[in-house]
Amino acid sequence: MVRGSRLDQVLVCSGLRKAFGELQAVDEVSFSIARGETYGLLGPNGAGKTTSISMVAGLLRPDAGEVTVLGRRLTPTAAAAKSAVGLVPQEVAIYPDLSARENLRFFGRLQGLDRRELDTRTDEVLALIGLTDRAGDRADTFSGGMKRRLNIGIGLLHRPELLILDEPTVGVDPQSRNAILESVEDLATDGLAVLYTTHYMEEAERLCDRIAIVDKGRIVAEGTRRELIATIGEHDLVRLEIDGDVQAAVEQLRGLSELGSVEVEDDHIVCLLAGAARRLPALLGAVAEVGAVTTGVEVREPDLEDVFLHLTGAALRD
Amino acid sequence: MVTAWTIARTEVTRLLRDRTNLFFVFVFPLLLVLVIGAQFGGGGQVQVGIVAPDGDTMAQELIATVDATDGVETVTVPDAVTLREDVARGRVSAGLVVPAGYEQSVVEVEPVEVSFIGRPDATGGSLRSVVAAAIAQQATPGRAALLVAEAEVDAELPALRAAAVERRGQAVGVDVVARTLGTDELSEEFAGLGQFDLGASTQLFLFTFLTSLSGGAALIQLRQLGIAHRMLASPTSMPAIVGGLVGGRLLVALVQAAYIIAATLLLFQVDWGAPSATIPVVVLFSVVSAAAGVVIGSVLRNDSQAAGVGIGVGLGFAALGGSMVPLELFPDALQVVSRFTPHAWANQAMAEIVRRDGGVVEVLPQLGALAAFAVVLTVVAVVSLQRSLSR
Repeated sequence: MVRGSRLDQVLVCSGLRKAFGELQAVDEVSFSIARGETYGLLGPNGAGKTTSISMVAGLLRPDAGEVTVLGRRLTPTAAAAKSAVGLVPQEVAIYPDLSARENLRFFGRLQGLDRRELDTRTDEVLALIGLTDRAGDRADTFSGGMKRRLNIGIGLLHRPELLILDEPTVGVDPQSRNAILESVEDLATDGLAVLYTTHYMEEAERLCDRIAIVDKGRIVAEGTRRELIATIGEHDLVRLEIDGDVQAAVEQLRGLSELGSVEVEDDHIVCLLAGAARRLPALLGAVAEVGAVTTGVEVREPDLEDVFLHLTGAALRD
Repeated sequence: MVTAWTIARTEVTRLLRDRTNLFFVFVFPLLLVLVIGAQFGGGGQVQVGIVAPDGDTMAQELIATVDATDGVETVTVPDAVTLREDVARGRVSAGLVVPAGYEQSVVEVEPVEVSFIGRPDATGGSLRSVVAAAIAQQATPGRAALLVAEAEVDAELPALRAAAVERRGQAVGVDVVARTLGTDELSEEFAGLGQFDLGASTQLFLFTFLTSLSGGAALIQLRQLGIAHRMLASPTSMPAIVGGLVGGRLLVALVQAAYIIAATLLLFQVDWGAPSATIPVVVLFSVVSAAAGVVIGSVLRNDSQAAGVGIGVGLGFAALGGSMVPLELFPDALQVVSRFTPHAWANQAMAEIVRRDGGVVEVLPQLGALAAFAVVLTVVAVVSLQRSLSR
């Protein structure tokens, strides 16, 4: 699924595989990210997103396949390729007993920045993440959102070409979350290639130019939001709330023609079908035939959550 | 190299930021040296136990003279047997037994023996001089009277002086019979040690090791916080990261050891022996401690485990290695077991250096053993740390 001109591509992953014992954590994962593009890996916890990112960041050596950054092969020992990558781990990976400035300077040193560059970039990044006034305070006195911002700032310090954000909004309050999402949007506008993993469908929809849906270590679909939704077909989503035998109703509905899929989600029946408004009486009739009563009906356009459900038969949050 | 130094320096900075660490690394060891010194060498006043007959004015004068000496305090002891035991156990620094009829003997210028009981150390020698001087004050008039009585009354001063010189060696008047206790092998081993000398080196090894093992928790925290992954994702190489983390632990151990040496030297005038011998012992022991801390931090998975294992192993090794009770008091079997701890070798080396004025040549066997510990543990530490960082 590698696409686009190789000259524009900052990151190219080809056929990545990684197993831990019997568990095939990542299986033939391939994708690429161009300059200024935000690429999302969307999948539930345990889908293989973090393992994929660990290989892209040079933390894990793949069993097969390769990662190249700006045309240079990235391995755990490839310093030049690694210096083009900024990693923002899922954990708030900062020293709690050092100040914001000390944290930035420490990781800047590890990135090989010289003293003058370090001074300049530290001040710039502190301003960017809004922590200039708290630069001298210990990180363990910060709020969760401030820590997350510092976590992102460290990833940006050495001006990477590719920024990897691994679930950066987990455990963050809504206000800070929105601030983080706005920052990521700005970064892509500035020409940075961003690899963004999340299990929040709305974040992927808002931020990502292209999205890969990951399940059980494999990319099951990839494309823009519109392209992914189109994989369902020109269907509407109908959600039925019923009082009665849900399983019997599902079997009855599956007997109808032209239904894309019929699934049970949270005791509701979710159907994909074309021309929902026209076909609705037939659906309600099928439910009534098994003695169930329809107590609620919702008809809407499908979203990425529905795409995931359609492709894997499971909900994203499972 | 620069990045390894950055990592190592950050580890030390973090240690110094934690007030709890500051207490256990810098304050607590000195408190223990002070407590052990107080037990080993007593307080500021040196006590002399006295056995003297009741109602003997001359005996009371003698006691008062000794008691008036700066830094000396007399305590009454019921009998000579108890006094010997008190001196032997260190309850008092020396003892004086004034016999019954002392006053009468002094007044009548009859020969009389006063027993001095001391230990074979510098304090014992000093107290013996104090007692001898006090007794001489009382005996001098008797000697003079004897001289005058035996000489011709109208003799000239030079003739009297010549007669005094002639009779100088005669056993007349009060004589001090000195008896030194504890001249067995064990007492000789600790003879001449300053009040804080024994505690300082043993506590240095105990605390340097303990701090290093507890510091293993910091490595676990690096992994748990994701900082280790962040380091590995940077262009910094694995050897530089491992070197920095191991170097950080070593720097912490060396800082603590140097601090304990400097502080005990300044505060308690501890004798650390020849620097050319002491420094290699302390440096090698610090390497062993740092490597052991890295192994703990690499093998264990959470910091509460590390704290528990660190304290258990740290105190256990210290006890087995002679940092709580001197190795010389161990039974033979336990002395053999103690050889498996670095503390035993380090404590033996310091005993050689401080008690017997040993140099680097005399402690070569101990340095060899510590170097072997250092090499093996450092290899294990580097391998286990690399594995743990990649987890």
